Amino acid sequence: MNPHLPWVVLLAPAVAAVAITLTALRRPAAAARWSIGAILVSFLASWGLFQGGASGRTGLVWLELPGLRVEFGLAVDGLSALMLLVVTGVGSAIHIYSWGYLRGDPGLPRYFAGLSLFSFAMLGIVLATNLLQLFVFWELVGVSSYLLIGFWHERPAAADAAKQAFLTNRVGDFGFLLGILLVWSVLGTLDLEELRARLAAAPAAWGEVATAAGLLLFCGAVGKSAQFPLHVWLPDAMEGPTPVSALIHAATMVAAGVYLLCRVFFLLDATALEVIAWTGGGTALLAALLALQQNDIKRILAYSTLSQLGYMVMAVGLSGGGHPTPAMYHLVTHAGFKALLFLGAGAVIHALHHEQDIWKMGGLARKLPVTFWTFLAGTLALCGLPPLSGFFSKDAILALAWERGQYALFALGVGVAALTAFYMFRLLLVAFTGPAKSQALDHAHEAPPVMTGPLLVLTVPTVLAGFWGVDRWLARHYGVAREAGHGWGAHLFEPFAHAPAAAWGGLAAAVFGLAVAWRWYGRALRDPLPGLLGAPARWLRERLYFDELYAALIAGTQEALAGVVAAVDRWVLAAGLVRGTAGAIELAGRLLRQVQTGNVQTYALWLAAGAVVVLGWTLTR
Amino acid sequence: MANLTFIIFCPLVAAGVIALLPRTFNVLFRLLALGATGLSLLGALRVFLALEPGAAGLQFEQQVPWIPALGISYHVGVDGLNAGLLLMGALVAFAAVCVSREITARQQVYYVLLLLMTGGILGAFVAFDLFLFYVFHELALVPTFLLIGLWGRGEERTFASFQITLYLSLGALVALAGLIALYVQAGAGTFNLPELTRHLAAQPLPVRVQTWVFGLLLFGFGVLVALWPFHTWAPAGYAAAPTAAAMLHAGVIKKFGLYGLIRVALPLLPEGAEAWVTLLAWLALGNILYCGLVAMRQRDLHRLIGNSSVAHMGFAFLGIASLSVVGVTGAVVVMVAHGLLAALSFAVSGYLHQHLRTVNLDQLGGLLRAMPFLGGVMVMAMFAGCGLPGFANFPGEALTLFGAWPNHRLVVILAAWGALVVAAVYMLRAVRALWHGPLPERWGEAQDARGAWVRLPYALLLGALVVFGCAPRLLTDPLRPVVVRLLAPPAGADATAAGLAGGATAPGRLAGLPAAGAGKVGR
Repeated sequence: MNPHLPWVVLLAPAVAAVAITLTALRRPAAAARWSIGAILVSFLASWGLFQGGASGRTGLVWLELPGLRVEFGLAVDGLSALMLLVVTGVGSAIHIYSWGYLRGDPGLPRYFAGLSLFSFAMLGIVLATNLLQLFVFWELVGVSSYLLIGFWHERPAAADAAKQAFLTNRVGDFGFLLGILLVWSVLGTLDLEELRARLAAAPAAWGEVATAAGLLLFCGAVGKSAQFPLHVWLPDAMEGPTPVSALIHAATMVAAGVYLLCRVFFLLDATALEVIAWTGGGTALLAALLALQQNDIKRILAYSTLSQLGYMVMAVGLSGGGHPTPAMYHLVTHAGFKALLFLGAGAVIHALHHEQDIWKMGGLARKLPVTFWTFLAGTLALCGLPPLSGFFSKDAILALAWERGQYALFALGVGVAALTAFYMFRLLLVAFTGPAKSQALDHAHEAPPVMTGPLLVLTVPTVLAGFWGVDRWLARHYGVAREAGHGWGAHLFEPFAHAPAAAWGGLAAAVFGLAVAWRWYGRALRDPLPGLLGAPARWLRERLYFDELYAALIAGTQEALAGVVAAVDRWVLAAGLVRGTAGAIELAGRLLRQVQTGNVQTYALWLAAGAVVVLGWTLTR
Repeated sequence: MANLTFIIFCPLVAAGVIALLPRTFNVLFRLLALGATGLSLLGALRVFLALEPGAAGLQFEQQVPWIPALGISYHVGVDGLNAGLLLMGALVAFAAVCVSREITARQQVYYVLLLLMTGGILGAFVAFDLFLFYVFHELALVPTFLLIGLWGRGEERTFASFQITLYLSLGALVALAGLIALYVQAGAGTFNLPELTRHLAAQPLPVRVQTWVFGLLLFGFGVLVALWPFHTWAPAGYAAAPTAAAMLHAGVIKKFGLYGLIRVALPLLPEGAEAWVTLLAWLALGNILYCGLVAMRQRDLHRLIGNSSVAHMGFAFLGIASLSVVGVTGAVVVMVAHGLLAALSFAVSGYLHQHLRTVNLDQLGGLLRAMPFLGGVMVMAMFAGCGLPGFANFPGEALTLFGAWPNHRLVVILAAWGALVVAAVYMLRAVRALWHGPLPERWGEAQDARGAWVRLPYALLLGALVVFGCAPRLLTDPLRPVVVRLLAPPAGADATAAGLAGGATAPGRLAGLPAAGAGKVGR
């Protein structure tokens, strides 16, 4: 491996971010050139690493103290090379798209600086060699997400969403940091390779804390990948510009949690994996249900992201004893088609001058043909219909659940697949093919080539990624050789032969969901579901009141505590003790002053009083 | 220029010159002050860069007898521990003079006081004679009171000035009592730190004596650093202080207590320290969590920054309480980082106060649009304050948590909550309230900092935070050998130390690890 190449991949976006901040904050074109150029350089370097099948590591020592050595290292292996390609590939498309989407926005240079900072941080997570370095980039990803969600910071909703996203992530990071501390104190190192070696050498010491440490590390993933119960921030994060939602809150950053789990997979024991599997399954179901009654095009996609992340996390949890290939496989295909869907939604929003309610759209298929056909491809992939990429990766997860005998999770996965097809076709039918529902649609027109180009490019992996052997690449990384299929046709039918229950179950579920959506939403002008479901539909629309619940919970605990503490500080410590001490001394001074007034009468009075006291004392003895 | 006496006396001589000039030479006062602190800064930078990390003993050392009868001498020098602090102090002092443009009344006296304070600050960090250390500390402290009383802001400034004076004088007196007790008990007839160290290494004090002397130093120095629950002077005092005084006091002077604990109390009274560390760790948690929660409720930006600054001191205390190389190194990194950060935060809040006449979070909003430069600086300072990687606070706080984890696990868990969640809550709320949201009409005319000279202090402080944050080894590599030496139990006292620590054996203590990590780590 060329030791400079990973540095080029990592540092090109960092250089761009710094250069924009220092020199191009008033020059949008220059900022765009820096940022887009940097991500393309990263992409090409990643491609070089991937093609060369490179593996190896390079690094500097970042901190060195007795017992604590932290490297700033870059590790390239099968897993990270693939992930680099996903991040920079999808990233390149989205960077270019952004230039069209946000043209004319006065904050454009700030936007591109944030996007480059994000790319740098995300690539840092991918390449990190040790847990503390992972944590560093983990935090940087969080902050760049904050900056980009709050890009339109003058909108209160965007500013609040940014704050909430960062704080929710911080709660997850709290667990992550404790997990790191625990791992370090038991195994004595933070380096992932050394951890693996020491774990093999000292399994007994690790056994006592393995579950706790695994679950604490999982906390980080729960925050970043927005798993239940920290899922609330992701839908609100849609306040950011749509390309940001595509890159950060769909394709890459939220997948970092899954990537982290795959990186530290060897640290997770059976109990931890069980919890992880059920958390993922639960999130997949919860998010799919919540998506049923959303009307904002981006929020529907956000909940579908949550749901798909749930699949991936569940797949990690089910992979115990093996390797998490299906999770990573779904991560890769999902990155392509979800980015495509978000960019398509962006093209719609752009055409309709920031209208996001699907019930004010309709008939867009004729107005925006490129957007429609690419969006359709993305939708079919997301629903898991063959031969698109999503079919193969989702099938791998369902097959895994079946194989492991986890029939409850298998049934859950199949059910979620039906729900997915239902809500995605609800979106597609209402917004694109159904009757037009507002006047604004007359003036809608297709996006410029700088935006449709990335859509078309992303359609390629959406359709074909299932045939590229991503799963074989991953299996090889984990040391399992799997022979290639014979031809495309054989590959297409292989899932039906290999695990028929999973393949047919998933397919039937998707077709069922699609058919129901067609029946109810094909020509609908209003949503029939509230009428059919009644109150539960309202609960779903109100997101099962999680936000209210959390607000009340925080107000009842941390806020209340802060109020009490602030009052104690003000009235007991500052006013009572400090002022009290000062006051007591002053009072003593005032009283004592009465003894020495210079007034003879007072002295006489004191004298008399003293005499009386002395007299009384002697007489009563 | 790389001469410690030159660095210390540049501001002091400039103060003397300004005092002798006619009263109306306002421009010259400022230029002299800028020049003197600028020269000190360059000198401190050269010392920092020329420092040899591995060298044993002091570098750039100078020693002149002063009061031989009591064993007092003018003894200055640097090693890995104070070189970074000296640089930080000189940088903050220069920045403080830069932002003093806002002062228009009685400039002569103001600059004299500010320069005396600077001289005291720089001297205290390099003094290796306990008496000299104390003298320089007082030289830095007394002008603070006058600056707050005369140029302070807000309605509470009289009380704040009064409170800070009493509190800090009391703390300084208790610390002085501790230092004198150390001098008397050691019986070596010298205030010279290296000699005292040698003497006490050969003949350690009895554990009982060590314990009470350490207690005196801990609480004396603790009050100076705003150790919980003796912290209430700090937020009120900083809210009332003029910008430069708040920057210098919160940034630098508050570090003397910590520096004294690390430089004097830990190495000279190692067994005394063992008795106090559990209490100290919990008090540190008081700073981190309690003051963090108090900061959540503040609506006044100065007080919010003041409380957060007190909260950050908790990490330094926690690092000291860890008694491990990792933790104490982290404590020093926190000291440097916090010095830069506090100065930066107070510089921005002072600018806002001067230009908007209020720093009440309820009245402000949307200022990022009117003040993109200062807003950007402040947002980054807030990120640094909630421990974001990339800024120097992150390695410092992380090291203190790592160092304290083996011995104070519960405290570390709660402190991590304070560092990651509580700090983020109040920092991001402040960002939201100040900079985000729609811009109210009345602030439409707010002036951003314009021009290279006006922006220089902010850029310097922020730049230093980023440099040390990205390359913490600039600080930790020179620190490591010094801290190892300071914490190494004196020869012959090993057995008792190990016995007292209750299982934390000497190597474990050094490494900051109970079992597995005590072995060799790294390739």
